[in-house]
Amino acid sequence: MENQTVGKGVKFERIRRITGYLVGTLDRFNDAKYAEVNDRVKHSIQKETGEFEQI
Amino acid sequence: MINTIIKRDGRHVDFSIEKIANAIYMSAQATGGKDYDASLALARQVTDYLEQKGFEMPTVEEIQDAVEKILIENGHARTAKLYILYRADRSKVREMNTRLMKIYEGLTFVDAKENDIKRENANIDADTSMGTMLKYGSEGAKQFNELYVLNPAHSKAHHEGDIHIHDLDFLTLTTTCCQIDIVKLFEGGFSTGHGFLREPNDIASYSALACIAIQSNQNDQHGGQSIPNFDYGMAKGVAKTYRKAYISNLAKALELSCNEDDMLDAIKSICKKIESDYGVSPVLSNDNDYHQFEAQVLKDSFNLPDEDISKAQVFALKKAVKETDRSTYQAMEALIHNLNTMHSRAGAQIPFSSINYGSDVSAEGRLVVKNVLLATEAGLGNGETPVFPIQIFRIKEGISYNKEDPNYDLFKLACRVSAKRLFPNFSFMDSPFNKQYYIQDDYNTHVAYMGCRTRVMTNVYDKSREVVCGRGNLSFTSINLPRLAIKAHGNIDLFFEDLDRKIDLVIEQLLDRFAIQSKKRVRNFPFLMGQGLWLDSDNLSLDDEIGEILKHGTLSVGFIGLAETLKVLLDAHHGESVEARNLGLEIVAHMRSRMDAESEKTGLNFSLLATPAEGLSGRFVKLDRAKYGVIPGVTDRAYYTNSFHVPVYYPISAFEKIKIEGPYHTLTNAGHISYIEMDGNPSDNLEAFESVIRCMKENKMGYGSVNHPVDRDPVCGYTGIIGDVCPRCGRYDGEEIDVEVLRKLKGLSICEAPCCDDNSLESDDKVTHPI
Repeated sequence: MENQTVGKGVKFERIRRITGYLVGTLDRFNDAKYAEVNDRVKHSIQKETGEFEQI
Repeated sequence: MINTIIKRDGRHVDFSIEKIANAIYMSAQATGGKDYDASLALARQVTDYLEQKGFEMPTVEEIQDAVEKILIENGHARTAKLYILYRADRSKVREMNTRLMKIYEGLTFVDAKENDIKRENANIDADTSMGTMLKYGSEGAKQFNELYVLNPAHSKAHHEGDIHIHDLDFLTLTTTCCQIDIVKLFEGGFSTGHGFLREPNDIASYSALACIAIQSNQNDQHGGQSIPNFDYGMAKGVAKTYRKAYISNLAKALELSCNEDDMLDAIKSICKKIESDYGVSPVLSNDNDYHQFEAQVLKDSFNLPDEDISKAQVFALKKAVKETDRSTYQAMEALIHNLNTMHSRAGAQIPFSSINYGSDVSAEGRLVVKNVLLATEAGLGNGETPVFPIQIFRIKEGISYNKEDPNYDLFKLACRVSAKRLFPNFSFMDSPFNKQYYIQDDYNTHVAYMGCRTRVMTNVYDKSREVVCGRGNLSFTSINLPRLAIKAHGNIDLFFEDLDRKIDLVIEQLLDRFAIQSKKRVRNFPFLMGQGLWLDSDNLSLDDEIGEILKHGTLSVGFIGLAETLKVLLDAHHGESVEARNLGLEIVAHMRSRMDAESEKTGLNFSLLATPAEGLSGRFVKLDRAKYGVIPGVTDRAYYTNSFHVPVYYPISAFEKIKIEGPYHTLTNAGHISYIEMDGNPSDNLEAFESVIRCMKENKMGYGSVNHPVDRDPVCGYTGIIGDVCPRCGRYDGEEIDVEVLRKLKGLSICEAPCCDDNSLESDDKVTHPI
């Protein structure tokens, strides 16, 4: 006999900040915001002093 | 003989010569004509002409062509011109109606997944019946306002994307938001319009009523709702809960010593007597003389030895502290659950709520903040991250910023919770533009942030009332900055000239809207105005107009796409070159100075907003791409960059980004926020998290937050970062998993969330629909 399974079709939730508030799923993001969220890159954090590099 | 005509929709209707005559007469009237008979004579000529041409069943278009011809032939050039304009207007209306019907068709028959309009605002589920109904209303109102209410110049500028009038659907109805003083609201109780609520008596009712206040006010305005003094307001509920708990525990302890059945009433009246005689109550911090007075009264009344009294008091104190802590946690947990589940606006969305806290150093206020943070950290019923309320923790030197500060422990906790749950955000009371108002003992001077970023503090209308509570934004309109740059072909002088023209236009439009808002009466806002939430509304009666007191609010001009603007003008954005940084500041400083000048001139609170742009982020760029084509770094993405932000795709260190964006916070007095995207799981590096927040403060930001991925697998309950595979249960997105595997996980007690028991596994399975 096959074992019982769960979770078929159950998607991971990916909570993101949209403009200032959070949304529990990316499905509700409009097209532009969806593109923006996908483009976001991480900002490196220099340890210790927080000295700035000159640009 | 013409008996029938064909209408545009194809229907056949009876021919009526009066209708032609009326149309001619209306045009003639507009040029000063008063002779209906002449119009009728012209209408007869039109009929004759049509019959002559052999039309037996003419169309409306054919008749209108004939009218134009006859008018011109008869020398009525001016009337003919107006008639043509009237025709053009009518076809514009028809076109708009068709467009609206197309939108309705999309709303009705297409899922949100396929329909961008349905996802304009992620807080609204437009796939539900109430959500769709809301969108029908909203889209219909937008078209109506564009066509009939707005000044045509403003309507054109909005329609073509030079500017964006936010919440256009609510143009004639209400204002944006309000900072609700819950301390004042709860005093003596209030009415929601559907029933009266007494002044609450314990922390559980305080938290429940706070939710109701937010919900009720949300229905009177189109924006979000904010509680600026959450810690101060809830602290009063904590004090009442503690007092009750202390009395009841003392009664229990003394029942034992005195061998009595029920001493609650006796202890209650002793407490009341001490309160009225000496003005002290039992308090959480136990830093007054209450126990001393009470010991004396107890000794006199019951003839008990000192030792018994002292023991009973210590017992009651300890128990009451514990129970109050517990009750406060439960109340805060309930608040967060309520604000994530309660419905507003016909059920299509949950209230858009914000709470500000962190500056209250009282034991009660601190207990509130500790517990609201702990409840947030714990998450909702299945461990989900709460999406509301937006929480804002106040950073203030001497209060919460430095190690020796009384609320520094809460700051630490706030960092820990935010690193897991994305909230709280952080607001900075030491930045000069906030600090200038701050008085520790008066929460009404502690600047608050609402929703995405709105800030309301300056009050040129009434300088003696530069306060937080009872005020909010009235409306705001954003300018499409990149388009101005594109049109100026890189000429910076031209850019500024055009920017000034757009600012003039927006100011005029905001004033038009304000004139409409001013004609509203208290009765149109049963909660906001009827219950005295808005500043000075308690001096008005139901039928009074609200124009005068609305002047406490702000009229804001916003902007998006500073980065793309700089790209056009200098071929570099402010992340890329010092020159662009300087020009960016020059542009935004200019906009701010225009707002200040307008405030001076009108006595109204004009302010500059760093627009958050959710629906707008895609709208402007779409229109500009259609107009000007794909311009690299400008119109080549699906969105324009949020307000003054360095583009999200641009690699830059956190500290650099903060340093570049910091100065814009000073300039954008209607609201601002900066984000840092942190890599990995910040919970593992709280020190780095705190250093980002401290850096924001040191760079004089007003409001900031840290973004990081918060993923959750609803099947095993894991919350953290999930790539392709859940690190706990090992399943892929949407994949099924053996129940036995989950049982084993549970057996190892990795998962503490209740979702791990078999029932909730099933129900999770049922409610989650694949997309």
